Amino acid sequence: MSETMIGHTGQSPESPPPLVETPAARPVENTERWKMMIIFLTMVNTILVAIIAGLQTDANIRANDANRDSQYYAVLTSGELQRIGLQNNYDMNTYARILDNTSRSLVMGYTGLQLTEGGDDQGAAFSNVQALVAQAQADAATKFSIFYQDPRYAPKSSDAQPELQRYIDDSNTEALALLAKQNAASDSYKIWSGKSDSYVAVLTILAIAFFLFGIAQSVNPRLRLLFAGFGIAVIVLGVGWALSILIG
Amino acid sequence: MADEKTKSNRLELAIAFLIAVVSLTTALAAWRTNAVGSKAGDAARLGLIDAVKKQATTNEDWRRLYEQAGYAQSYAVTLAGIEAMEASGDPVAAAQAVNLRDFLLKGIVQLADPLATDPKYQLDNGTYDLEQYFTDIQAEAPDLLALDPQASFRLSEQYSSEQRWLMLGTVLLALSLFWLALSQVGGSRLRLGTLGIGVIIFLIGLAWFFFVEVLFFFLRGGAL
Repeated sequence: MSETMIGHTGQSPESPPPLVETPAARPVENTERWKMMIIFLTMVNTILVAIIAGLQTDANIRANDANRDSQYYAVLTSGELQRIGLQNNYDMNTYARILDNTSRSLVMGYTGLQLTEGGDDQGAAFSNVQALVAQAQADAATKFSIFYQDPRYAPKSSDAQPELQRYIDDSNTEALALLAKQNAASDSYKIWSGKSDSYVAVLTILAIAFFLFGIAQSVNPRLRLLFAGFGIAVIVLGVGWALSILIG
Repeated sequence: MADEKTKSNRLELAIAFLIAVVSLTTALAAWRTNAVGSKAGDAARLGLIDAVKKQATTNEDWRRLYEQAGYAQSYAVTLAGIEAMEASGDPVAAAQAVNLRDFLLKGIVQLADPLATDPKYQLDNGTYDLEQYFTDIQAEAPDLLALDPQASFRLSEQYSSEQRWLMLGTVLLALSLFWLALSQVGGSRLRLGTLGIGVIIFLIGLAWFFFVEVLFFFLRGGAL
C-alpha cells in the first residue's frame, strides 16, 4: 500500500518534500464574506419593489378612472349635441315662421294697397285680411322665439336682426365644456396608462436585480462582488427610470 | 454536534411550515385584492351602462319635448290667425275661421296634447311651460330617472382606493415570503435574522390587510 503511494507520487520516503502546493497549505477563504451586504442590498431591492408595485397599482387605477371618465363625458357630450340639435331646430323653425309670416303680412298689405289703387276694393279687403292674419301669426310666433324673448339675442332696435351668432356660440358652450373635460380625461388616461406600463418594466428590471443578488449569494466572494455590482447597477437604472416616470 | 443538527432540522421544519402558511395567506390576499379590483371595474362598468341608458332616455325625452313644443306652437300660431280672421269683420274670413276652428284646429290640438291642452303648462304670456313638461316626461320612467351613474362611480373609486391599499398589504406578504425563503436556504448564521425579518414583515402585512378591509367595510356601510 505504501509502495503504491510512493509509486504514485514518484517520491521515496527519503526524498525532499514536494514543491507542489497542497490544499492544506492554501489560505482559508471565507465563503460567507459579503453575504451580509448582499442581504442588505436584497432588502433595499425588496423595499423598492414594494414601493414601485404600489406606484404601478396607483397608476393603473388612475388610468382606469380616467378611461371611465373619458367614456362618461363622451356619452354626455353626444347627449348634449343631440339636445342642441333639437333646440336649434325648434328655435330656427320658430324664427323662420316669424320671418315667413312677417314677410307674408308685408306682401299682402302691399298687395292690398295696389288693389285699392286699382279700384279693386273686394280684392284689397281680402288681401288686407290675409295681411292681418299673417301679422297675428308672426306676433304669436314671436312669443315663442328665443330670438325675441331672450334679451341676450333680441334685436337692439326695430331695424336690427337678432344676435344669431351669439346664440350659436352660447348653444355650444356646454358641449364644448364637456368636450374639453372628455379630452382632458383621455389625455390623463394616456399619461397614467403609459406610467403604469413603464412601472411594470421597472419592476421587471428590479426582478433582474433579485436574480443577480441570488446568484451573488451562491458564488465565491470575488464573483459575489461582481454580481453585487451588476445588481447595484440594475437597481440604479430601475430607480432612475422610476423617478423619471414619477416626475414626468 | 448532533444536538445542534437536530435543532437546525427543527428550525427548518418550522420555517417550511411558516412558508406554507404565508404562501396560502399571500395567495388569499392576492385573490382578495384582485376581487376588490374586479368589483371596482364592475361598478365603473355599471356606471357607464347606466350613463348610456340614462342619456338615451334623456335624448328621447328632449326629442318628445321639442316635437310637442313644435306642435303646440303651430296650434298657438294657427289659433292666432283664426282669431285675427274672426276679428277682421270680413264675413268671408269669419266663415273661413269657423271652419278652420272646426276642422283644422281640432286636428292640430290633438297633436299638441297635452302641452297645449293641459292648463298646468299654460303660461301667462300665451306660451307653454316646457320645463314643467320635460320634468313630467322624465317622471314617466322613474326607474330610468333613478339611475345614478355617479353613485356607481363613487363606489368604483372606493373599491379602487381599497385595492390600492390592499395591494400594499399583499406586497408586504409577498416580501415576507421572500425573506422566509431566504432564511430556509441561507446559512445557519443568517437564518434567525432573516427569519425574524420575514415574520415581522408578515405580521405587519397581515395587520395592514385586515385594517384596510375593516376600514372600507365600514366606509361602505357593511358591504364587502
